[in-house]
Amino acid sequence: MGPIHFVESPAIEGENVSYVVQSDSLSKRYGKVLAVDDLSFKIEAGTITGFLGPNGAGKSTTLRMLLGLAKPSSGHATIFGIPYDQLETPALRVGAVLEATDFHPGRSGRDHLRMLSRAVGLPDARVDEVLSLVELHDAAKRRVKGYSLGMRQRLGLAAALLGNPDLLVLDEPANGLDPEGVRWLRDFLRDFALGGRTVLVSSHVLAEVAQTVDQVLIINRGRLVTESTLDDLTARVGGAVRVRSPQLDQLDDALRREGIVTSRSNDHALLAQGTTRERVGDIAFAAGAAIYELATEGSSLEEIFLDLTSVEATP
Amino acid sequence: MNQLRAELLKIRSTRTSIGLLLGLIALALLFTILTCTLSAQAQIVGEQNQISLLSFGSIAGVFAALAGIMLFTSEYRFGTIRPTVLFNPNRSSLFVSKIVAGALSGIVFGIIGEGLVFSLGVAILKARGIPIAMTGANMTELIVGAILGTALWGAIGVGLGSIVPNQVGAVIALLAWGFVAENLVFGFLPKVGRFLPVHASDAMMGPIQPQLLAGNVATVVVVAWTLVLAGAGVIMLRRRDVS
Repeated sequence: MGPIHFVESPAIEGENVSYVVQSDSLSKRYGKVLAVDDLSFKIEAGTITGFLGPNGAGKSTTLRMLLGLAKPSSGHATIFGIPYDQLETPALRVGAVLEATDFHPGRSGRDHLRMLSRAVGLPDARVDEVLSLVELHDAAKRRVKGYSLGMRQRLGLAAALLGNPDLLVLDEPANGLDPEGVRWLRDFLRDFALGGRTVLVSSHVLAEVAQTVDQVLIINRGRLVTESTLDDLTARVGGAVRVRSPQLDQLDDALRREGIVTSRSNDHALLAQGTTRERVGDIAFAAGAAIYELATEGSSLEEIFLDLTSVEATP
Repeated sequence: MNQLRAELLKIRSTRTSIGLLLGLIALALLFTILTCTLSAQAQIVGEQNQISLLSFGSIAGVFAALAGIMLFTSEYRFGTIRPTVLFNPNRSSLFVSKIVAGALSGIVFGIIGEGLVFSLGVAILKARGIPIAMTGANMTELIVGAILGTALWGAIGVGLGSIVPNQVGAVIALLAWGFVAENLVFGFLPKVGRFLPVHASDAMMGPIQPQLLAGNVATVVVVAWTLVLAGAGVIMLRRRDVS
């Protein structure tokens, strides 16, 4: 799939806005269940934010409240400084895809986009532009029921892009995409954000968005668990290095002398916290310890995500 | 206006409406041809008989109501309600556009339904040598009443679809009401039943059966039903979360 180009969006005028998205003590109660619990966060322009949490954490409910589809039980949310449904023609400022399957199966992809563009007074020419943008032009006149999941995802994205928005909100956009599709989406979001535009993308898999996002909001059981840049989150994980050596005690002492925290794994390997493979290798060489294995613990970012989201909600 | 154009495109861009229209045409043709050719002469002479016979176009109201129901329920069923509301968060304006679109498609159903029944019915009667006993006023009331009534049924369908977003539920509710409940009430308590929407909209076409309301009163009654259902529908749309 080819490259995607976006026209740089004009600066936001009018409102005196510092944050693109702002959630103030947002809560949503369904009967006895508190789906979203006092959730506050802010998103700045030009960032790609990953909105993360396990299934059922309240991500979709939060996005629906941000976009005026669901009413908060308390608290409030603003987009560009005002509630979504009070923006003048919000589809020209915000593009959103909440479900990958929001199409009438008997309607063509092009007609789906035409009916939405008519609602905001956009010409059919814009429909053809976004169809080209998501590379669906050839399938545009076919009924959606014949589309693959990847094509549906892209049609949803096309609908969100109709109004040439400054903010894109995507709920689990990578669900069901093949690796090529995930890569296409990643490049797409990167290009979109290049011109100072903002992306809020939810996922229940950190790895899916880790290569795309600048910062993460992690929620669990409706509450904010972590709000940080991806770099900070990575630093917190600290890159544990796993090393095996026949001179394990000798190496352990050498590492500790350098102030590195170590621990032993079950299979007699050494785990060095908060350091790099290069450093461990150098220390081992200086200590005269042979190295049989030296590796970064691969899923450490994923592990901290699991740690954060498996904690019981604090009272 | 933009939203109305969007709603009319929604109606035209799937096969649902054309399917309903074909169903209406088939039923109107079948009924008119069978009754007008097979009925004994005694049953189809005279003003009253002919008005009753040619009022079958009122069946277009059922089809218009079904089309109106689809305007909301298919959005909920297929999830298009989400982009629809995102593109137009003013739910009252969205609702009004759907009501108008439902009424406009009702007018099309009414013209085709009653137009077929009336023109074909009169042609068959003439071919059988049966004199047309209806006055011009009868004919006007029959045709205008059918078209107006069908338009209102299109709007009623939209209101019902917003109140009962489940497609199967809304269709069953309409059919159970129109073909069972209301006939039971009218059968036992005609003085009450004639105020109910199906019988009142029948009365808009003239004295097609005894005990119905007068045409102008009936029109007011059906408009009132439409407003009640539309009012409930818009309240539900404004209050309900789009999940």
